[in-house]
Amino acid sequence: MADVRLQAVTKMFPGGVTAVASCDLVIPDGQFTVLVGPSGCGKSTTLRMIAGLETASSGTISIGERIVNDVPPRDRDVAMVFQNYALYPHMSVERNLRFPLERRRKTSFWKSLLFGSERAARQAESVAISERVAAAATQLEIDDYLHRLPRELSGGQRQRVALGRALVRDPKVFLLDEPLSNLDAKLRIAMRAELRALHRRLGATMIHVTHDQEEAMTLGDVLVVMKDGVIHQVGPPSEIYDRPADRFVAGFVGTPPMNLLEGDVRGTDFTSSSGVVFTAPVGTAEGAAVLGIRPESIRLSHNGGVSATVTSIERLGDRMDVVFDIDGISMIGRCEPSELIEGQPATITFDVAHVFDAGECGARRGKGG
Amino acid sequence: MMCESQQPGGGSQGEGTSSPARARIGLLRHVPLILGAVLMLFPLWWMVVVSLETEQRAGMAMLGGDVVQVWPEDPQWHNYTDAMREVGSTPWISFLDALANSIVVTVSVIVGTVLSCSLVGFAFARVRFRGRGGMFLLMLATMMLPAQVTMIPLFLLFRSMGWVDTLLPLIVPAFFGSAFNIFLYRQFIAGIPEALLEAGRLDGLGWVGLWWRIVLPLCTPVTAIVAVFSFIYTWNDFMSPLIYLHSESNYTLAIALNSFRTQYAGLEDVHLLMALSVATMIPCILLFLAAQKQFIEGLGSGAVKG
Repeated sequence: MADVRLQAVTKMFPGGVTAVASCDLVIPDGQFTVLVGPSGCGKSTTLRMIAGLETASSGTISIGERIVNDVPPRDRDVAMVFQNYALYPHMSVERNLRFPLERRRKTSFWKSLLFGSERAARQAESVAISERVAAAATQLEIDDYLHRLPRELSGGQRQRVALGRALVRDPKVFLLDEPLSNLDAKLRIAMRAELRALHRRLGATMIHVTHDQEEAMTLGDVLVVMKDGVIHQVGPPSEIYDRPADRFVAGFVGTPPMNLLEGDVRGTDFTSSSGVVFTAPVGTAEGAAVLGIRPESIRLSHNGGVSATVTSIERLGDRMDVVFDIDGISMIGRCEPSELIEGQPATITFDVAHVFDAGECGARRGKGG
Repeated sequence: MMCESQQPGGGSQGEGTSSPARARIGLLRHVPLILGAVLMLFPLWWMVVVSLETEQRAGMAMLGGDVVQVWPEDPQWHNYTDAMREVGSTPWISFLDALANSIVVTVSVIVGTVLSCSLVGFAFARVRFRGRGGMFLLMLATMMLPAQVTMIPLFLLFRSMGWVDTLLPLIVPAFFGSAFNIFLYRQFIAGIPEALLEAGRLDGLGWVGLWWRIVLPLCTPVTAIVAVFSFIYTWNDFMSPLIYLHSESNYTLAIALNSFRTQYAGLEDVHLLMALSVATMIPCILLFLAAQKQFIEGLGSGAVKG
């Protein structure tokens, strides 16, 4: 196990497209780190640079104490699980699991034909490989179909085999490139729990890439939120959620997304661009700003608050997502089930607000939250 | 060859038609197919029948006589052994020499073609290098050159190397690839998911390892096509052996067959010629039947893979 450090790492593709821009990141040893962001944000490129499948245009990548910029993928001691599993279709599950270990044998097949000592060493090696494969198969509960071909397995089983192939190597770092995105919703949730359990058992450094912020929040010890090749925030999920560093992070993390209203702060009042006045968090600097309100913090009130009209309701059983219209401003709230009717008036309150500088990626301002 | 096309909704289309009428339509549809098959198989049937006739009746058949029957009354099976014995100057030995030479050349050409074309196709499909597009076009352009154009320069080249009257000019070029087969491999390999090769790289494979352990096994359908085409072309090839092979001991079956024909100048012993032709053709038919499944699968998967 080892930590992974990226110092001023930039990746430019031919044609001048910058996929990752001067990225500084420390991924601590033994942590489950999730790189999350919308498509094209550079998270997969970052992962591939750590794996050695892409070369960094500039900057330094270290795994443990070693700078690995010029080290080929096989010598980096990392294992990767791919989005589409990437199991060798012509090999059985067992051979798929054995393959990475066979490639790393220290004994030579040809020498073992000639020398008895080499033959004994090779046999011992084979036994060790078989034991490791069996252990990984048991751990992931895939021992029953070791002799099947990948095409004879379901999506979930294939994913386990792909994990197993990484597991048998006992690498310093596990790299997971959207490994759950091909699974159906139910299986994805089950596999999330398994991944967490696996991480707890192994205590290994794992770097997981996903565009699904819910997956990121549930899996990661540390989240790295990226957009357009730039890291916007690094921190534990609770911090990312409660204190988003900027407007982008605020809007990206959370389902439904945070309501973001553009306007001006004057004193203790925030006046939205449509003229609706809200109370700004105490201590917020004055000037053009964006007010952020989490849907969960919006509550229906019977004792005064902001008057709104219910535009639409999505009932989800234990809760409901309601779109309110407040004098032309549309806000989504996640409320307790109630007898609201579309088109009827309602009174709402909210108590936690975030304020960001104006602009697409305006930074967090003041003490909000 | 004759297959019913099943279309979705075909049942509802024919609901108004009674089943005997539908059967009649099905039968009618088979008539042109059967006629086509008969037309294609006629020369083969004629060859087999003549190969089993007596010398006299076969000779008359060649002259356009009406003695050829659907099946000979008294099949002369010994024609086959007679033909093999009478090839060349040494009974049996000449035939066995030719057979061995044909097998050596054909197997070598298949191995050479599969190895070289898949390797080059892999490079064109997956390895990024300067001038890749230009080189690929240049390679494709060689397909436009008729073989006759390169025949004399190649002969001069091989003569200067001292390879004339050896099997080398027939074998060695196969190890340097051929444009069409490289194209086939390149297209197929371009459809293999990149992640598989990346997984291979992480597992410790270099370019050659990726080709040998991942790409080549996945190319089985294309390899089946290339191998069958190469086999049929090489086994039946007449021109190259005729140009390069002079000694009887180096002859391949195609040349041996030809020398057999001239040896009996004209239409005598046509039954033996036909017997040997049938014997020569049998491996091709057997191979095609054995590889048919792979072959047809390969044609399909090559077309839609991507």
